[in-house]
Amino acid sequence: MISVTGLSKSYGKTKAVDDLSFDVETGVITGFLGPNGSGKSTTMRMIMGLDRPNKGTATINGQPFHDLRWPLREVGVLLEAKAIHPGRSARNHLTSLAQTNAIPKHRVEEVLDLVGLSQVASRKAGKFSLGMSQRLGIASALLGDPGVLLFDEPINGLDPEGIRWVRELLQSLAKEGRTIFVSSHLMSEMALTASDLIVIGRGRLIADTTVTDFIASNTEATVLVRSPQIAELSGVLTGLGATVSGQSDQSILVTKVDASQVGDAALQAGIAIHELSPQHASLEEVFMELTSDSVDYHGHIGEEGSPS
Amino acid sequence: MTATAGTVAPTHHGKAGFRHAFAAEWTKLRSVRSTWICIAIIVVASLGLSALVTNLEAGRWTTLSLGERARFDPVRFSQSGVFISQFVVGVLGAMVVTAEYSTGLIRTTLTAVPHRFNVLIAKKAVLAMLLLVVGEISAFASFFLGQAILLGHGGKALSTNASIISQVTAHNIPVVSITSPGVLRAVVLSGLYLVILSVLALGIGFIVRSTAGAISLFVGVLLVIPLIINILPSSISNSIEPYLPSNLGLAMVVTTTRQTDFAGTLLGPWWAFLTLVIYAIVVVGIGAWLFQKRDA
Repeated sequence: MISVTGLSKSYGKTKAVDDLSFDVETGVITGFLGPNGSGKSTTMRMIMGLDRPNKGTATINGQPFHDLRWPLREVGVLLEAKAIHPGRSARNHLTSLAQTNAIPKHRVEEVLDLVGLSQVASRKAGKFSLGMSQRLGIASALLGDPGVLLFDEPINGLDPEGIRWVRELLQSLAKEGRTIFVSSHLMSEMALTASDLIVIGRGRLIADTTVTDFIASNTEATVLVRSPQIAELSGVLTGLGATVSGQSDQSILVTKVDASQVGDAALQAGIAIHELSPQHASLEEVFMELTSDSVDYHGHIGEEGSPS
Repeated sequence: MTATAGTVAPTHHGKAGFRHAFAAEWTKLRSVRSTWICIAIIVVASLGLSALVTNLEAGRWTTLSLGERARFDPVRFSQSGVFISQFVVGVLGAMVVTAEYSTGLIRTTLTAVPHRFNVLIAKKAVLAMLLLVVGEISAFASFFLGQAILLGHGGKALSTNASIISQVTAHNIPVVSITSPGVLRAVVLSGLYLVILSVLALGIGFIVRSTAGAISLFVGVLLVIPLIINILPSSISNSIEPYLPSNLGLAMVVTTTRQTDFAGTLLGPWWAFLTLVIYAIVVVGIGAWLFQKRDA
């Protein structure tokens, strides 16, 4: 179990993480979701004692990381896949890590086999593809057979087969009763992998929920309506308590009422309707909607000057 | 997907400590090729320059004035390789730290060993022990090679209590034995000079964290600072020069009976050794403080 309480971290005037509190439960996969630059990696680094928080605490199994007696046997972590000396072999890399926590040598061969790198274990890690490096990073996380695992964007750079492999691995690790905390900036990936969800934007907590609840509570029924008398129809629908947002002079998006109510109201008012279609917000859109205020770096397309 | 649960025997006693960090750092140091290339360069430079310089100096013996003969130092000539080796150990010492920062490996290291002081001391101990072995073997081998070459040029062994006067008046090139006054000390300190410099470079690595920056700073201290000191008024430069790391190294390798040649310009060998050790402690201390304080 991972507990984060009031965690804050600033770099100069920028608040990377701002009063963040949440718990990561045992036996399930908890997704850690947020746009790029929202403070996910900083939070993970603070949990692992690499960055010092300005305020707040993070504990693993009730203890600060720094106080764990055999850190690798309690927490495994994948932070950056390419964090390997390019001239060192995968086997020697893992051997040195194993020695820091008195992990027996045969465990190195076990994890190499588990991630499918046994054949290339003697090769220089610098020659590895990004996918192989991710596998090596996962191998080092599993080395101490820890009960708590943190993965920062583990599917980055993996091919579809690799992505499926990571998903299945995470699920089997959770089934074994471990605590799995996995970050991603892709809502769709989290929907497939995680059951619990912690969403942050600009370093602040946006949601601490389950994937199912997150989708249910954030997807609002929206109806697209097309009509030649759009202005009049808007007035009628607003009178019914609907929220109307203009799409063009021919169509509107209506929320808070469903398609049948819109149709009935139009008939009563004698307004012709050319299209009436319920919209399903995708998870990606929900996520974008929710975090749009908290994205630091928006792209500006078609604006004056050079794109920023 | 099976067998994620492994066979790591549960350990309830003890904790990950220095002993484990030391073993891990040794695995890291020996498992990259650059370590062995550096060692090969040290050995080749030591023996090669010892042979070259003693040969050249011995060839000039008959043309030397009496004053120059008095300064003829068979020990120092044999240790000429130190001039190259000092940069090699600097690169090796800095890279032990900066290679971890450039790849991000330092963060993996610290998630395995959260006690940063253990990481720093383990790195330092592994590096120092390896270079102690390599440095001393090179120093002794160079010494004996140098004396063998001087003998080949018709050199004659000086008696252990030979004075400078006897060296000057002798017709033959002086050859010293390891038991001659100050010789053992000079050879041993020649090896230790490399050990201390590597630790100094490791400290710079922890301060600067980039390979290019650390190596530039190290080379700057050894080569550039002496040049700057040199253009200062001699009243100032004379009082600073003995404390420059390169001159401390020279003071450690010069044989005692010949100290008079450098009177006022060099410290005594043990004072030089002590000063250099203090430099290393200060630099590593600053590095350790920054390492503890900064985000990894």
